[in-house]
Amino acid sequence: MLKYTVRRFFEMLLTLFIIATATFFLLEAVPGDPLTTRAERLPESVAENLYHKYGLDKSTMERYVITMKGMLKGDFGESVVMPGYDIQQLLKETLAPSARLGLQCIIVGVGLGLILGILAAMFKGTWADYLIVFFSVLMISVPTLIFGLLLQKYVAGELGLFPIVGWPKGDDLWFGGWEYTVLPTLSGCFSYVATYSRLLKTSMLDVINQDYVLAARAKGLSEPQIVRRHILRNAFIPIITVLPMSVAFALTGSFFIEKIYSIPGFGRYFIDSIQAQDLSIVLGQTVLMAILYVAVVFVVDILYTVVDPRIRVGGRT
Amino acid sequence: MEKAIDPRFVVKGCENTDKEAIVRPTITYAQDAWRRLRKNPVAMVSLAVLVLLIILAVFGPTICGQDYTYMEPALKNQPPSAEHWFGTDLLGRDLFARVCVGARVSLLIALVCTCVQVIIGCIYGGIMAYFGGWVDSIMMRIIEVMMSLPYLLVVILVMLVLGNSVPSLLVALCVTSWCNTARAVRGVILQLKSSEYVMAAQTLGASPWRIIIRHLLPNTMGILILNTATSIPNYIFQESTLSFLGIGLQPPDTSLGVIISLGQDAMQFYPLQLIFPAAILVLIVLSFNLLGDGLRDALDPKLRK
Repeated sequence: MLKYTVRRFFEMLLTLFIIATATFFLLEAVPGDPLTTRAERLPESVAENLYHKYGLDKSTMERYVITMKGMLKGDFGESVVMPGYDIQQLLKETLAPSARLGLQCIIVGVGLGLILGILAAMFKGTWADYLIVFFSVLMISVPTLIFGLLLQKYVAGELGLFPIVGWPKGDDLWFGGWEYTVLPTLSGCFSYVATYSRLLKTSMLDVINQDYVLAARAKGLSEPQIVRRHILRNAFIPIITVLPMSVAFALTGSFFIEKIYSIPGFGRYFIDSIQAQDLSIVLGQTVLMAILYVAVVFVVDILYTVVDPRIRVGGRT
Repeated sequence: MEKAIDPRFVVKGCENTDKEAIVRPTITYAQDAWRRLRKNPVAMVSLAVLVLLIILAVFGPTICGQDYTYMEPALKNQPPSAEHWFGTDLLGRDLFARVCVGARVSLLIALVCTCVQVIIGCIYGGIMAYFGGWVDSIMMRIIEVMMSLPYLLVVILVMLVLGNSVPSLLVALCVTSWCNTARAVRGVILQLKSSEYVMAAQTLGASPWRIIIRHLLPNTMGILILNTATSIPNYIFQESTLSFLGIGLQPPDTSLGVIISLGQDAMQFYPLQLIFPAAILVLIVLSFNLLGDGLRDALDPKLRK
């Protein structure tokens, strides 16, 4: 187990290194540099100084080595487009709104999805089942984008129940200003409701036909007990492997909701800074996302063995 | 046969020696799947809706007799009427014709991307599963790296390098999308290679070709068709959200995403300009999803009756 963990750890480092390198060269491949438009309007000597300040006058390989060395020390460099900002500063300001939005979406969406999934599996073949299936298909088929726009227009705009845009700040950053978060959360949670209700329903139906459920029934256990102690425990295995991935994606924010409701989150800066070729910011965000992703894959692998003793780590690669 | 029977016994009324023969016509995998799909009313309705939508996307502008680029400044933001079925947009263009053309572009992008994804994914996954060993692990690492690169980063960079046009959007959407298909195909082939019926076929002396054509391909077909059915709505989503973020197509190119993002600007006063294209997009995606569900049931050999 220890050997496996250590090997996985080094593999993770290698993957991170490759991702950082790929991001660097992908950004290099784009014609022009972040200063092109600004430098055109400046006197030559000023432009030269500007290039020198950000180290953009060096060759690509030199800059690659400098960037990588800086990254090892946790220094991604100063943002070119937003002077005075570096990635740590930006993350401090933008990660909290994104993370709160993501977590709220996950909690509401997954909670609702699991409840609906259990109901659909228990009442399989009845109208309740068909209704839930129909709604979950409908929810996957309406893009988050359109949900968000319609909710904004009708619930916030016409009915005036909630604020149209905005996000709690300051003391309310994590707990408070709930009225601002209702609509974004609602628009973001639908896809989770749909995904998780379908997932849990299928995996519960797989388990229901197993012999140990029959045995439990033969023992005379009550139906809620069978569902809770025998069916759900086993049906949760696929859920547990998918959930960490959803959390990782949710934490880094959903770009469309942030854009529609003007939430000062992580996603907006991600798109802006890629378009501006702001290497330090893009690299920082990409590495953060990659760390999350790789860590989550690792956690999932460990969880597998904890949840399902049939899977042994040693045999897996 | 005759000699094996003891002479003291007489065979009576059982001269039919070919009773083992299969009388019923054999049904191929595709025929069987189609037969089961036909019995699924939801899937058939969505198939019909899809066909209708595709006909509209192809012939819609001709049917309503409006040009999707023609601007009539006097007829801005009109409500639906006999002449302009969905009304007109803020430049006085016929919205119905625009939605049809937009749906055509969106469907085309989705179909082409799905084809590319399935073909590359099949070849890549097949090679991984066939060669195994270190080839497999290196190719798997490549997939892992590609999948952990943020999707938006890749898409935006490709669009920056190649410019905002339909072909570059196709490239941008396809760059990393085949990874999942490749993994799925690899998984299925690895599983099938060691399954009992393949071994049985080998023991019976079937040639590798016959095993590939009769056993491996039909069983990967299910996964592939499913992959196709889920990918198409996915691509339509991605195209529309990219266009909404201003990264995808840009006018004068049009697509459902472009029309929706224009509709968002007009949403405050003319909500129909958002609702019509959004409804068409939802209808397309909904029918693909329902058809996909039906196909999954029809293609699963375990559900065969």
